[in-house]
Amino acid sequence: MRVLKNILSQLHSFLLWALASVLLWAWIFGLATDTSFDKKVMIFCHVPAVQEVELTTELEKDLPEGIKMVQVHPFDYVMFDTVSITRADILIIPAIDVAEMGDEIVPLEGERGVQVYDPDTGEGILLDYITYGDEAYYLFLGAGSAHLEDGIAAEIAEKLLDM
Amino acid sequence: MPQNIVELYTEEEIARLERKVKRILAALIVLGAAALIACITLAALANVRNAGRLELAAVIVSTVAGWICIYGGIFGVSAGKKEIGHANMLRSEPRERIDGPVTVTKERLKIRGSITVRRVEVASETGVQKALVHEDRAKRLAELPVTAVYLAHGYVAAVEVAE
Repeated sequence: MRVLKNILSQLHSFLLWALASVLLWAWIFGLATDTSFDKKVMIFCHVPAVQEVELTTELEKDLPEGIKMVQVHPFDYVMFDTVSITRADILIIPAIDVAEMGDEIVPLEGERGVQVYDPDTGEGILLDYITYGDEAYYLFLGAGSAHLEDGIAAEIAEKLLDM
Repeated sequence: MPQNIVELYTEEEIARLERKVKRILAALIVLGAAALIACITLAALANVRNAGRLELAAVIVSTVAGWICIYGGIFGVSAGKKEIGHANMLRSEPRERIDGPVTVTKERLKIRGSITVRRVEVASETGVQKALVHEDRAKRLAELPVTAVYLAHGYVAAVEVAE
C-alpha cells in the first residue's frame, strides 16, 4: 500500500521517464540504422502498402560498391523526416503525382518514367512486396538523389524492374 | 543521565541508516549501468530487419530500470539522507525537557523538501504542548510508557519512560 502511494505521488516522474526513454531510443536506433545519403539508396513508394523490411532484405543481398544499405519507405514516412524525400533515389508514384512532383523527379527512360503497374491488367513489378491502388504507377529517379551521377540509382532501379 | 531514557535515534541506528543508503545507492548505480550497457549493446546490434524488436526491448529495459532508479533514488537514497540529517540534528541540537505523557496524533505533516512527521501532544503541568516526531518513529513512540520528552527544535529527540 505504501509502495503504491509512493508511486502515485511520483507518477509524473515515472510517465516523463517513460516518454523520454521512448524518444531517446527512437533517436539512437534511428542513428544506428542510418548512414549518409551517399552510402545508402532510398526508395519511396506512394502506394497503399509496401513490405519495407522484406524488400530491403532482398535488395541488400547484392549491393553496389560503396553502398551500405537500402531504405524503403512509404510516403507516410515524410511525417517523421521531411528531408529524406527530397534526397530520394527512386520513387514509385501514381500517375496523379507525376505532374505535382515536376522538377523533383527524373525519368529513368523516356519522358513519363517507367510504368511499373497497370491497373487494367493487374500486372506490375514487385507484386510480392507492394500493394498498388487502382491507378497506373510509375518509377522515377529523385532529382535530389546522391546517386544520379554515379549511376547507382539507375542500377538499383533496373534491379527493381527485373525482380 | 537517568537510565530509562530512550533515544529515538542511537548512533548505531544512524550508522545502520547510512549503510542502508549506501547499499541502495550502489545497487541503483549497478542497475543503471547494466541497463545502459544492455541498451547500447542492443543499439549496436540493430539493423533494418531487427531494429523494431531491439528498439522495443531497449525501451522496456531502460524504462523499467529508470523507474526502479527513480523509486529507489527518491524513496531510498533521498529519504534516507533526509532521515540521517534529521537524526543528526536531533542528537546535536540543545534539548528542552517537558514532563508528561505523550499522545501521538494522526495528524501527518510533510515538511517541504524534508521528512514526513506526525504531531504529538505532551500533557505537561502547564498544559498540552505540541511537538513533532518523524513518521517512522511515531509507532514506536506511541507504544512507550513515556513520562517526559526531550525536544530539539520542536522534534521529539528522546523520551523518558517509566521503569
